[in-house]
Amino acid sequence: MIQISCPFCGKRDHSEFSYGGDGQINYPPLDASEDTWHDAVFLRENIYGRQIETWQHLYGCRSWLLVERDTRTHEIFSVKLAHSDWQKLMEENR
Amino acid sequence: MTAIRVSQQSSINKHKEEETISFFWNNKKLRARKGDSISAALLANKCQIIGRSFKYHRARGVTSAGVEEAGALVTTGKGAYTEPNVRASTTEISEGLFVYSQNAWPSVRFDMGSILNLFGRFFAAGFYYKTFMGIPPLEWGRGTGIWMFFEKFIRKAAGLGTASRLEDPDSYEHLHTHTDILVIGSGPAGIQATIQAAKTGKDVLLVEQDYAIGGSYLSLLDKSEFKKQTIKLKKHNITVLTRTTAFGLYDDTTVGLVEIICPEERDKKPRKPRQRFHICRTKRLILATGALERNYAFSNNDLPGIMTVSSARTYLNRFQLLVGSNIVISTNNDSAYETGLELETAGASVTILDSREQIADLLLEQILGKRINLYLGSAVAKAKHGVISPCVKHIEIAQKTNDGWRQSGALSCDCLLVSAGWSPVIHLASHQGCPIEWNEENACFISNGDNKSIFFAGSAAGIWQFEDCIQSAKEVAGETRTKGQKPSSIIGGWRTAIAPLYEIRVPTIKGKAFIDLQHDVTASDVRLAHQEGFISVEHLKRYTTLGMATDQGKMGNVIGLALMADALNRPIGDVGVTRFRPPYTSISLGALAGMHRQSHFKPIRKTPFNNWSLANNGIMIDAGLWHRPWYYPKQGENLQDAYIREATITRRSLGICDVSSLGKIMVQGPDSTTFLNRIYTNPFAKLAIGKARYGIILRDDGMVFDDGTTWRLSENSYLMTTTTNHAAAVMATLEELLQTRWPDLRVHVTSVTEQWAGCAIAGPNSRSLLSEIVDDPSEISNETLPFMGVRQVLLQNIPCYIARISFSGERAFEVYIPSDYSHTMMQFIWNKAQKFESCLYGLEALGTMRIEKGHVTGAEIDGRVTIEDIGLGKMASQNKDFVGSALRKREMLTSPNRPQLVGIFPKDKNKTFSAGALLNEAGKRKGHPLGWITAVTYSPALGHWIALGFIEGGLTAVEDKHIVLSDELRSNFLDVEIVSPHMYDPEGKRLHG
Repeated sequence: MIQISCPFCGKRDHSEFSYGGDGQINYPPLDASEDTWHDAVFLRENIYGRQIETWQHLYGCRSWLLVERDTRTHEIFSVKLAHSDWQKLMEENR
Repeated sequence: MTAIRVSQQSSINKHKEEETISFFWNNKKLRARKGDSISAALLANKCQIIGRSFKYHRARGVTSAGVEEAGALVTTGKGAYTEPNVRASTTEISEGLFVYSQNAWPSVRFDMGSILNLFGRFFAAGFYYKTFMGIPPLEWGRGTGIWMFFEKFIRKAAGLGTASRLEDPDSYEHLHTHTDILVIGSGPAGIQATIQAAKTGKDVLLVEQDYAIGGSYLSLLDKSEFKKQTIKLKKHNITVLTRTTAFGLYDDTTVGLVEIICPEERDKKPRKPRQRFHICRTKRLILATGALERNYAFSNNDLPGIMTVSSARTYLNRFQLLVGSNIVISTNNDSAYETGLELETAGASVTILDSREQIADLLLEQILGKRINLYLGSAVAKAKHGVISPCVKHIEIAQKTNDGWRQSGALSCDCLLVSAGWSPVIHLASHQGCPIEWNEENACFISNGDNKSIFFAGSAAGIWQFEDCIQSAKEVAGETRTKGQKPSSIIGGWRTAIAPLYEIRVPTIKGKAFIDLQHDVTASDVRLAHQEGFISVEHLKRYTTLGMATDQGKMGNVIGLALMADALNRPIGDVGVTRFRPPYTSISLGALAGMHRQSHFKPIRKTPFNNWSLANNGIMIDAGLWHRPWYYPKQGENLQDAYIREATITRRSLGICDVSSLGKIMVQGPDSTTFLNRIYTNPFAKLAIGKARYGIILRDDGMVFDDGTTWRLSENSYLMTTTTNHAAAVMATLEELLQTRWPDLRVHVTSVTEQWAGCAIAGPNSRSLLSEIVDDPSEISNETLPFMGVRQVLLQNIPCYIARISFSGERAFEVYIPSDYSHTMMQFIWNKAQKFESCLYGLEALGTMRIEKGHVTGAEIDGRVTIEDIGLGKMASQNKDFVGSALRKREMLTSPNRPQLVGIFPKDKNKTFSAGALLNEAGKRKGHPLGWITAVTYSPALGHWIALGFIEGGLTAVEDKHIVLSDELRSNFLDVEIVSPHMYDPEGKRLHG
């Protein structure tokens, strides 16, 4: 029953969100090699502790978010917009 | 044991004493006092045998006055209102309540099943595993023929209550509750914490599982302090919920509460829900949940007439019931003495056996001059029932020796009270994984919460003395304790230290010594588990089923751990404790489901044509959340008649179909073309304005994700359509790509699925019909609107889109109408269609025509196929990179032996088959099949049954093979012919022109 503070919508129940995946993957360009893509798509750290993951505020503003969460306690430390320019705008206008 | 009502000076229940109500025990009408629990009412009516035990069918009576009840489980209500496994000790009796005993036949006093008790030594832990693995050597390696035979008898014999199979007539509600401070438990610590917290001006919610607030106050003789505190509580205007169990603690201090609505309230307002499930979010949680008194293992410790010491005090002071006249108390701690004194004052003769060899002078002084016999260094070693009565009549005493216990005498009694220490209720903290430690000095597990938002107060924190409990409540509620700070150490507080006591074993005494009464787990079961190597607490629990009954081992777990520690010769703290799981006490599934049942279980999506379709005899089918028209039967037609007629008329002349559920996404912005060109496998860079293109989207891993047509409406705007199934997932993926991977692309995506109603107009006469409805028929000629052309046109002055696309394989158009005009526009189109031989067709006919054409849908695109597998490899561009283009080239995904899409005909054209059937080479029906069937239909165009499916290597690999279809479940085996998936009009002549 965790709550996530969406930068646009405020603190909402996790049932409004959908989990994406590992937020620290840098997806390679489309013309990258098969091996590079293989690593990006299939190789994952199984983190016991803080990890950055993507969530989408599906039943809200539909933003994709980068959520820093502890996998042991489910404590959330930070929530940012995944879109780097939007996040910058949010910070500038705070 | 024969309980009697006693009159007391206590005034708090005085007025209630006058009020009597009636209830039914096994259909016999009995009287009770208002405010009685079912247990109290049964005891007052001299009903001592209340149930029969889970496995051995032993007679069981009231063992407690609280949630730890292990014996007095009953069924309440009748018919659809039946509620099994109700704890008689915590449920209020109400006027006319039906109460039944459980697991007994023909009656609870004389139960045939109790014959099992005689064979008890055969039913030790692991009995089923050992006995029913198959009888060696006859059944070696073959398993459980014997089990299959005996199972139904065992299932009938073992168990607790039986749930009603009728639909639950009651309603349940969900509620989101928010508060600053939630206090669980309304005993002395809970009330004090609530008052203290309210003084700080914060929002406070107090919840109590009982039907009356007060907790252990209710069990006290002197209620003056309780009165004072309730007056203070009322002053602060605090929300107090009784009959409300905090059953689980979840992340972010979210507490699950189930509130049972008072039956009387519901009698007045019958539409009130039976229960409310509160999802309670609190900033601070104070667990004043108290402690539960334990018993210990000794021979026959489950006889009716044996209960915990504190429960006798509760029955005396709360319900004015003296549980016996000749009472023996067996204890290892101080708490039993006050009860002993009060029972003596109420008129019973009392004998106390204390396992400790010395006790504090203060305790000795207290009982001096009273009719109380005290045996120090003694404990009950065996309870014995009467000649006829199964209730306790005698006990055998054990005396402490240097290295154990020896038999030392006997006493007669009519009631035996046991106290072997107290277990603080730390369950909720355990749910959240708060640290739990074994406290050797007090012989119990203790938790300090998380020191951030979860705190303990009172005896739940292992604090025994009243004043210390009050002090601890003040501290946690007044927030004088800051983050991280340890509570002031007042844990414990006995005058004489408790002497750990988990089992009395005397070699000369035999008989079952229970540790988990509800599941009939005995001390010897634990030793057997140890002997057989199940020494981890988690294995112990599962092998013996200790703590797995409805009470979740509230009493028995600690005893089981202690016995295992003893067998292992290790301290209890080292053996560990199993993590408690919600719910703390059993809760009804109805409360969890709430209003989300039947038609409210999931939302229904209706297309804009829904009402129109229903008015025109459409039969609907669930497609995900959507209700889509399935078929439109004429009089006397069944599904098959209807879809065959619909497909036939569409191919011959004209058919109209609702396709509104397809996903529709507007893709807009200067980089839209670049974006789509990256998404789709085929080129989109040069799609002309006013043209549509069929495209395929892959996942990153190279598998097919979705397909659909995308229409270029202007330079920078496209309308993308998706399959009905994947609409939401495609939308979320597009957003993910734009926001996380390609933030530089200036593209905006918007779902417009609901904004447009779509209908397909298909068949040779489709253009003729459109000519009737558009203002200028030249707009839709073959030249102005060729195959895959898109135009905006005015229909009745409403701007609509017409796209010339076809799923049926016929000359066809899709007309997109703003949703608000869908009803009238459909009526307008349908009226015009009457000039022609025409029909409405549903999902079934749509499926028939797409199978005939070999078009794929979700049945084929199941997440495991590549673009080559479905025969569309040519659509994967070699000249550009797109999502999935790297990984789709992996070795296993490019193997020519992969199963590929094919069409399937029965050799004998009169035969039929079903989806899911397997394809094999003749004579090789065993093992891994060559292929499978994904979709079948009767083809009106071909005049026989046809199917789509996959087969290894595709059509070319099996051309000269003899393929058989096998459907083991339906015993259908037949020869088939593998053909191209394009089974009808393979050249696509009907589309063009």
